[in-house]
Amino acid sequence: MRIGIPKGLLYCRYHTFFETFFSKLGSEIIVSEQTNKDIMDMGVEFCVDEACLPVKVFHGHAASIKDRCDYLIIPRIMSICKKEYICPKFCGLPEMIIHSIPHVPKVSMEPIYMQNEKEFFKWCFSAGSAVTKNSAKIKKAFISAKKAQKKSRTGIIEPGQKLTVMLAGHPYVIFDEYLNMGIVNKLRAKGIGIITEEFVSDSETCEEVKKLVKKPFWTFQRRIFGAACVLLRHKRIDGIIYLSSFACGIDSVIIDLIRYCIGHFPMLVIKLDEHTGEAGMDTRVEAFIDMLERRVLNENYNPSPWECVFSGQNPV
Amino acid sequence: MRITIPHLGNVYLAVKILFDSLGIDYIIPPLNSKEALRLGSKYSPEEICLPFKLMVGNYIASVESGADTVLLVGSCGPCRFGEYSELQMRILKQLGHNIEFIIMDPVSSIGLNELFKRVRKVGSTSKKSALSKMGSIFLAFTAMKLIDEIEAAAHTIAGYETNPGEAKGLLSSCKKEVFKCSDPIKAVNILKQYSNRLKAITVDYTKKPLKIAVIGEIYTVIEPFSNLYIEDILMDMKVSTTRKLTPTWWVKDMLLKTIKLNSRELLNASNEFLPLYIGGHARECIGEAVLAAKEQMDGAIQIFPMGCMPEIVSKSILPSVTQKKKLPILSLVVDEMTGEAGYRTRIEAFLDLLERRREHVRIRC
Repeated sequence: MRIGIPKGLLYCRYHTFFETFFSKLGSEIIVSEQTNKDIMDMGVEFCVDEACLPVKVFHGHAASIKDRCDYLIIPRIMSICKKEYICPKFCGLPEMIIHSIPHVPKVSMEPIYMQNEKEFFKWCFSAGSAVTKNSAKIKKAFISAKKAQKKSRTGIIEPGQKLTVMLAGHPYVIFDEYLNMGIVNKLRAKGIGIITEEFVSDSETCEEVKKLVKKPFWTFQRRIFGAACVLLRHKRIDGIIYLSSFACGIDSVIIDLIRYCIGHFPMLVIKLDEHTGEAGMDTRVEAFIDMLERRVLNENYNPSPWECVFSGQNPV
Repeated sequence: MRITIPHLGNVYLAVKILFDSLGIDYIIPPLNSKEALRLGSKYSPEEICLPFKLMVGNYIASVESGADTVLLVGSCGPCRFGEYSELQMRILKQLGHNIEFIIMDPVSSIGLNELFKRVRKVGSTSKKSALSKMGSIFLAFTAMKLIDEIEAAAHTIAGYETNPGEAKGLLSSCKKEVFKCSDPIKAVNILKQYSNRLKAITVDYTKKPLKIAVIGEIYTVIEPFSNLYIEDILMDMKVSTTRKLTPTWWVKDMLLKTIKLNSRELLNASNEFLPLYIGGHARECIGEAVLAAKEQMDGAIQIFPMGCMPEIVSKSILPSVTQKKKLPILSLVVDEMTGEAGYRTRIEAFLDLLERRREHVRIRC
C-alpha cells in the first residue's frame, strides 16, 4: 500500500509523526516534492479562487502525488489544544480536496483532535486500518511515532550580529521556502538574528493572552500574539516581520491585535499570494532592516560631533 | 445606559419592539448605507470581512447620537465572528469612545451563570416586573417571526403577482410604518395587518416564474445593504426567491444547539457533502443547496463576504452539488469594493441562463 503525504500546511510540524507512523506499519510512503512553480500552478488551477495561498499550494501537493498513491493523507486537524481550533479551512480540507481535484484516490476523512492521546489515536486507528488489520501493530506504531515526534523540534532561533527580528506567521508560511521566497536565508545573509514563536513556552503565551477580553480560540492566534508580546517585553527582539498570506482570516485578526499591543514598535507585514514579486519583497525587507539599524544605533542617542568624527558617522 | 445594536436585516424592528416594551433606552443606528461602510472601512483592519466593517460603521453612528453600550451576539467557533467584539472594542477605544460591550456568547463556552449575568446587565435597566419582561421577549419574538414571514411571503409572491411591484411596495411600507410606531402592541398589530394584506394580493399561479434559493453567509444574506439589495433586484425581475436563513431561524438554531436538535433538515441534507461542523454556516449553505435541488428550484445564488473562511470551503464543494443534483449555482463575493453594475450583470446573465435551461434542456424528465 502506498501512502501519499502532501508536503503542505502543517506537514512542516508533524511530518516526523506521520512518516514514522506509516513506515512502522510497513507501507510505502510517497511525499510530494518541495513546493515549486509546478506545484503552485497546479494548486492555483484546482483550488477555489478565494482560498489563501497555503491552501492552494496544499491542493497542488495533493494533485502532484494523487496518481502515485493508493491512500492520500489529508489531515483534517480540528484542534491541537483544548477548546482551540486551527482554521475553518483545515476542518473542511478533505472535502475541499475531493471536490476540487478530479480522480483522487481514497482519502483519510476522519477528524484529528490532538489535544489528548485517546482522541488522536482514534484517527491513527482509522487511518492505520486502511493499511493493516493488526490493531496491536497500529498501537505500537502510534507509540513509536509519538516518541519520534517528541524529539523533533521545529522553529528557528539564530543569534544575529546586531539585530534580532521575530519571524511571525503560520509555520506553513515560515518553513516553506518557495512560498516566502527564501526570506530566512535573506535575513541570514544580512546577519540578522531570527526567532520564531516556538521558543516561547505555552504557559507564557497563555499568561499573555489573559490580557485580552476574550480567550482566543485559534491556537496560532494565542501562540503568535502571545509570543510577540512576550519577546517584546523581554526586549529580545528589535522588530517583527510578519509573513501573512493574502485573505488569511486568522492573520487579519492577529496582526491587528499585535498592532494594538506593541504601539510604535516596528513591524513589517508581508502579504504573500501567488503574484508576489521577489524584488518588491527584497526592497521592503531591506528598507525595514535599514530602518531598524538606524533606530537601534541612533534613536535616543545623540553623539557629540567629536564622537562622530572618530567613529566616522554622519553627524546628521 | 443607552443601548445600541448593529444592523442585521429587520432585526432592528424586533429589537425596537423589545426595548420599547421593556422601557429601556436605546438608539437604532441609521440603516446601513455608503456612509456606514465608508466609516467602517476607514477604521477596521484591512482584510477583515464586510460584516465587521458595516458593524463598526453602525457603532460610530450610534455613538455620535449618544449610545454608550453595544449589545452584540457572539460565538466561540472557528469563524472570525467570535473575534469581532475583541477588535471592535479596541477600535472604538482608540477613537476615544468609552463604550461598554455586552456580548451574548453561547452558553457552551461561557457557562450559564455568566450568560445570566450579562442578560441581567441589560434587564436591570428596565423597571418592569419579571413576568412582563418575559412577555416583552415573547412579543419581540412574535414580531420577529411575523416580519420574517411577511418578508418570505413577499419574496415568493413577487414571481406570481398580477400587478408587478405590489408585494415589494407593501413590504417597504410595512417596515416604515412599524419603525415609526413606538407602541409595541400597536406595532405587532400593524405587522399582522400587513401579513393579511399580503395574503390578499391577487396572484396568478399559472405563471411559471424562476425560483431561486438565496444561500450563503448569514449576515450578507440577511442584511440587504451588504448584498446590494439582491432580493429587491430579484423581485423587480419577477423572480420568486426563498431563503432559509432568517433571524428567527438563527434564534431557534442557537436555542436548540445546546441540545443538538438544531435545524435537522438542513444538516441531514448536507451530510452527503460535508458531514462535520466547520464553523460559520457552511454546512447550512450546503444543506440549503441540496434542499433547493430537492424542492425543484431553478437555481441558487450563494453570497458571501470576501475572505469568509467557512464559505470558501462550501464554495469549493458547491460545484459537486451542481453536478450531482443538477442545480445551477452562482457564487457572488461581496466586499466594500463590489461594483453594482458588474454585480447586476452577473445576476441577469445567470437568470437568462436559467430561463434558457428550462426551455431547452430536458433535465427533469
